[in-house]
Amino acid sequence: MSVFMDLNLIYTGDRTGLRTLLETAAHRESSADDEEIVSSVCKHLCLYQGRSRPIRVLNRLTVVMSDSSHFRPNATEYRSFDLLAVQPTTEKLFHAACMLYDVDIICISVSEKLPFFFKRAPVNGAADRGVVFEVSYSAAIRDSTLRRYTIANAINLMESCKGRNVILSSAAEKALELRGPYDVTNLGLLFGLSDGDAKEAVCSTCRSVLLHAETRKTASGIIYTMRSCSDSAGQEGAPGDPEHGGSIIDSQTIKPSLASDD
Amino acid sequence: MSVDLDHTPRCLLVSDRSSFLHEKNRINSQVEQLNFNYKVSLLLPECGSTPSHLDSMLNNFSTFYLIRKLPIYELLDKRFLETAVYQGCVYGLSYRTRIDEDICVALMPNGHLCLSLDKDSFQVLGVEGKASRFSHRTKSRYVVSVDMTESSMVPGGRGYLRLLTGLKSRLPLKSDFLLSHHPGGGASLQALLSRYDWSEHKPEVSTHALTCLSCPTQLTSIPPNFDPHSFLEWLGAVDADISCENSSCSFLSSLACPEPKTMLSQALRVSVCGLLLPQDILRLIQEIRCYLDQPQLQSWVALTVHGFVDSPVSWGGREHGALRGGENFYTLLMGEDHTYHLHLVTGAHDTCPP
Repeated sequence: MSVFMDLNLIYTGDRTGLRTLLETAAHRESSADDEEIVSSVCKHLCLYQGRSRPIRVLNRLTVVMSDSSHFRPNATEYRSFDLLAVQPTTEKLFHAACMLYDVDIICISVSEKLPFFFKRAPVNGAADRGVVFEVSYSAAIRDSTLRRYTIANAINLMESCKGRNVILSSAAEKALELRGPYDVTNLGLLFGLSDGDAKEAVCSTCRSVLLHAETRKTASGIIYTMRSCSDSAGQEGAPGDPEHGGSIIDSQTIKPSLASDD
Repeated sequence: MSVDLDHTPRCLLVSDRSSFLHEKNRINSQVEQLNFNYKVSLLLPECGSTPSHLDSMLNNFSTFYLIRKLPIYELLDKRFLETAVYQGCVYGLSYRTRIDEDICVALMPNGHLCLSLDKDSFQVLGVEGKASRFSHRTKSRYVVSVDMTESSMVPGGRGYLRLLTGLKSRLPLKSDFLLSHHPGGGASLQALLSRYDWSEHKPEVSTHALTCLSCPTQLTSIPPNFDPHSFLEWLGAVDADISCENSSCSFLSSLACPEPKTMLSQALRVSVCGLLLPQDILRLIQEIRCYLDQPQLQSWVALTVHGFVDSPVSWGGREHGALRGGENFYTLLMGEDHTYHLHLVTGAHDTCPP
């Protein structure tokens, strides 16, 4: 098992509330994601890790898609985020997200009854690519109607994916909506996960999401760009695949701008 | 589709019934095999205060030491091995490390060093080990178990140097460590203790007098007239101070005392917490037998010994893990005539108790 992680905390403009939320998440020994609703398209998330090690904060972007133009593959804005997630609202977009889009997490909507069923083919396709499905539980804490939708949608998902490649996270806006990792594991049983799957949904699968995000950002782990504090930036580079040739050039052009930031 | 919520987490319960006078009873080996004991709880019925010889026994449990931020490679130190590990029984356990999140280390009295590592740490350490038995879909936990008394682990040997290099340079592990030595005590550990920030601790004894306690009747009858699950649930509720009244206006607890039951006017609950050695527990069991030999109002005593939840090993050095709770404990219900009922319980991620 790895450390417990909660990959979804809502970012708010209220700094004090945000700090309380992150401190509560740290005390509950789970990493939390922070989500800011800037528009219906962009959300901001950050991530905490448990108290036994130094806290780790990451950034996540969730794109709520109602049209295929909402998610632009290889967009430069996405580079500054550690995790990339999409929330498709139609079956066609769900299929595209599972099979094509270069993302880490596919969010399952909890605020409405899903208008489509999960088919085995795209779910298996996503699992093969290392993309995980995320179920958020704080809506279930807030409201009883949303609780029904959350459980119904989650159970539908588990029927198709058999408990593989699923993460459970909070999408909490306030500290009181966070739950400890063992409570979230128990909640996973309500969603149709087995004991082992529910525990993996809060630790090992989250770790694999982070690794997937790293390989996505670094062209399968070949090219790393690091922010340096001196002019001689430490940057490992190696020729990538021909289709990733563009990313080599991009990373080199990033270097002068990083140097000028210092 | 409906979710099957009747399925409860798996736990293993082994029940044994015998007499101390029977020559083939296994109680000694069963107690000795659980190396790392955290808490001993005693329930003495119809007793207002701890009898003096039991009290002195409880207050004379061996002391243990807490070393802060001990680098784990120090457990391979040549002098430590020669003065402590080879000479007797060293019990060592990493403190405040969680079995399903962090790296846990245990040093067993037979000289085995056991490290429970997550995947990244195991790959960095570079020492032979195997995946945890309790991996689900992915192998995310690995166990390295090394016998320090083996020929390849003699200081200077190949395996020894590889592990030492791993712990010193590749994966420099540091954690708080609980240490105890039998029979030498602190003297054998001085060489190690003197180099780090250490403190000596005595196991903490707490006593609580209970009144009007409902209790199942004929606990020690043979065959038992109730099942072990309900008895253990009741005993756990008494130990944790949970009401068994099951009143209609309280929603906190619906636990109830198994029937048929009687009311005890008073009872005494004693607990000892710390790093407790199996040898002390065996001596305590002998004292309780002497106590039961005297004429009593009630003819039984219940002793529960809890193992550490975050220990990488439980009975007999076998692997221990935690799914939702890493319980591993045993309850010894001792009756008059030197008979006993023993219940050994472990959680889901554990091997069968002996």
